[in-house]
Amino acid sequence: MMVRESSIMRIHYYTGLAAIILVAIHILFRLTVPEGYSASLEYENVIANYKNISYALVLELILITVAVHGFNGLRVILLELRQGDVWESTVKWLCIAGAVGIIAYGTRTIILASMV
Amino acid sequence: MKENREGIKGWLNPTRYGANRFAYWLQRLTGLGLLVYFIAHVIETSNIVYGRSAWEKMLAFTQTSEGHIVLIVVIGMCAFHAANGVRLYIAEHGKGIGRPGRPEYPYKPASLGLGMKACIWVSVALAALAMMYGAYVLFGEV
Repeated sequence: MMVRESSIMRIHYYTGLAAIILVAIHILFRLTVPEGYSASLEYENVIANYKNISYALVLELILITVAVHGFNGLRVILLELRQGDVWESTVKWLCIAGAVGIIAYGTRTIILASMV
Repeated sequence: MKENREGIKGWLNPTRYGANRFAYWLQRLTGLGLLVYFIAHVIETSNIVYGRSAWEKMLAFTQTSEGHIVLIVVIGMCAFHAANGVRLYIAEHGKGIGRPGRPEYPYKPASLGLGMKACIWVSVALAALAMMYGAYVLFGEV
C-alpha cells in the first residue's frame, strides 16, 4: 500500500505536536513530587507511576508518538542524503522495524512494571 | 549532476544560507540526538521490571554529574527541537513566510522574514533557558 509523502508529513507534524504535550506531562510528573526530583526516581515512586492507569496510558502514547516521529524523522534525513529505489525501500523498512521494535520493548516494560 | 552532490558535508555546512540553514541543520542534529536518547531511555527504564536492585544500579550509573550534564544537553535539544518544530508547523501551513514574488536584487528570500528569523532565535533562547532550569533542578539538590 502506497502512502502519500504529504500524509506521512502530516502524521510527522501531529505526532510532534502531541509529543510536546505528552512529554511536558511526563516531565511534570518528575518535577511535582514534593520531596524533589531525586525522590521522584525512587523505586516505589516509579512503580506507583506505572500502576496509575492514566499515567501508564500517557507513557504508552509518548512511546508511540515519539517512536513514529523519531523514526520518520530519521527516514526523512536518510532520504535527503541519498536516493534510489533500493535505498529508499531499505530505509523505509528499517525505520518501520525500529519504531515497531522500540514500541514493543517499551510496552513490555509498561505492562510488566504495572504488574509488579 | 553527481559532482553537485555534497552529501553529509553539504548538509552540515551552515555557513552559506544564513539563519534558515542554521535552523535546518540544528533541527536535524537535535532530532538525531533525541532519537538516540529516546532509545537509550526506553532501554534504561526497562530495568524497573528486574527489581529494586537493578533499578538502583541503573540510577547509580545515570544519576551522576556526567549523567546530569547529558540530561541538560538533552533538555536543550528537546526545547530547541520543539520550539523550532512549532515554527516549521506554522510555516508548513503558509503562515509567516511572505508572498511569492518576482526575484529582485538583492534576492532576499520572502520565506525568511523578520518574524521567522526571530522565531529561530527565540527557539535558541528557550533552549538556553530550559538548560539553565534543568541545571538548577539537577544540580540544585544537595
